[in-house]
Amino acid sequence: MTPFSWDRFLAMGGYAAYVWPAFAVFFLVLLADYLSPGLRRKRQLRELRARMARQRARNPRQTTTP
Amino acid sequence: MSHPPLAAACAAMLRRDLTLAWRRRGDIAMPVLYAIIVTTLFPFALGPEDALLQRIASGVVLVTVLLAMLLALDAMFRSDIEDGSLEQLMLAPQPLALMLGMKILAHWITTALPLIVIAPLLAGMLHLPATVMPVLVYALLLATPLLSLLGAVLVALTAGTRRSGMLLALMLLPLCVPVVIFAAGAVAAAQQGLPWLAPIAWLGAALVMALVLAPLACAAALRIALDA
Amino acid sequence: MANWIPLWVHKLSSPPNFYRFAGIVRPWALGLALVLAAIGLYGGLVLAPADYQQGDAYRIIFIHVPCAWMSLFIYGLMAVASFISLVWRIKLAEVVAMESAPIGAAFTFITLVTGSLWGKPMWGTWWTWDARLTSELVLLFLYLGVIGLYHSFEDRRQGARAAAFLAIIGIINVPIVHFSVNWWNTLHQGSTVRILGPSRISSDMLWPLLTMMFATKCYYLASLFGRVRTDLLAMESGKDWVRQIAEQEARP
Repeated sequence: MTPFSWDRFLAMGGYAAYVWPAFAVFFLVLLADYLSPGLRRKRQLRELRARMARQRARNPRQTTTP
Repeated sequence: MSHPPLAAACAAMLRRDLTLAWRRRGDIAMPVLYAIIVTTLFPFALGPEDALLQRIASGVVLVTVLLAMLLALDAMFRSDIEDGSLEQLMLAPQPLALMLGMKILAHWITTALPLIVIAPLLAGMLHLPATVMPVLVYALLLATPLLSLLGAVLVALTAGTRRSGMLLALMLLPLCVPVVIFAAGAVAAAQQGLPWLAPIAWLGAALVMALVLAPLACAAALRIALDA
Repeated sequence: MANWIPLWVHKLSSPPNFYRFAGIVRPWALGLALVLAAIGLYGGLVLAPADYQQGDAYRIIFIHVPCAWMSLFIYGLMAVASFISLVWRIKLAEVVAMESAPIGAAFTFITLVTGSLWGKPMWGTWWTWDARLTSELVLLFLYLGVIGLYHSFEDRRQGARAAAFLAIIGIINVPIVHFSVNWWNTLHQGSTVRILGPSRISSDMLWPLLTMMFATKCYYLASLFGRVRTDLLAMESGKDWVRQIAEQEARP
């Protein structure tokens, strides 16, 4: 077996234009899929905190849940 | 014992829906007009070449009929949900599936039947040979009730939502792929002089299945969608 | 509820418990997925020899085929969860079914894109109306229909149950579509492209493929648990345990 070389690895036997975009799509789509619930979660918790703050402002004695 | 009232209820349901449709005759004409307009546009887009039009005629007519039905599908239960009569129907002692089956039948008579009547005209405009015409009508006679039944289930699922036009098309597309394939396959086979009975038989088998299952599924879907 | 179901299942399916459990499992699943993907891709891209017919282009198989398997696997799992949610009305099953749909749609999308990137150099075309490709496209539409129906309801749980019903209709439809497209292809005698015909795959190529399959499974678990956690927070936003989490995360 011939020793490993980066140039040959990146060239993919002339198919680099097909192989690497395929891998890029794979990783980008899955990355977006993985990160999206994190953003949604942050927004939800922020909204919830705002709602709790409003409730607290309305009746100051009840500091926790109604 | 319960047979006469059940049959009477079915007949009453059918008569009511047909009367309502007849009162708004303009709405019946709409899908037909739509189909004529779409079919007229094809020769302008593709050129008036006879051979080409002949080749695409059956496909164009089928897809046009399907789209015209999709256009009318949205309104299947719309007015009944708005005036609350569908909820009455769900509470009625008669089986909901049977009543919905009658509504689907009424809807098929008012929207699909006019389309089937003008389908030979549309196909003629695209120079479909007269010998193939009966096969086209058979295929439509089996495919359109199938679409009505499948569509009714999906319409029932979207009954509780407000915007459903595009969603309905998205949901119906995967379900109507086999129907279109077999209906168009039968006509294409007839056009090439091949035996066309097999795809028609498949459509018939699917129709029998859908006749039994779709009203039940429709009732279940409606109970889910309107269960507030 | 039937009493043959062990007690820990009941305990786990309560939202706060599952939230904590998913929080523990998620990083491990992701870590395992990354390690397996690293091993699988090293084996696939570096160690495995080039194919004698397809050259290096075949290396797309190491993501294409695992994603295609996942697109079907997730649909099956979604349908099972949908069935459970409709029959027993378990909240967690609804959430699992509805949060599986976007992940499945992502995998289906990757399968279609990588498939066409593979098809271009091999068959000279981006797309062909082959039974497998068409079925995969229909599968994408099914996923989109489920997602669209779920989001068109104002009430989440009602939307989840309607979409669960659609998912079950869809799983009956997939084999019918595959069969009918096969029939259609033989009628039209169009492009008779054989993708991945019955060929013997060498073990050098097989083990990276299987490793990637496990990597995508682990990734699915990690992504699903992240989504389920978020959904549980939204669903239970009135409850005490969610408020505590909200307050805890505000502090730092």
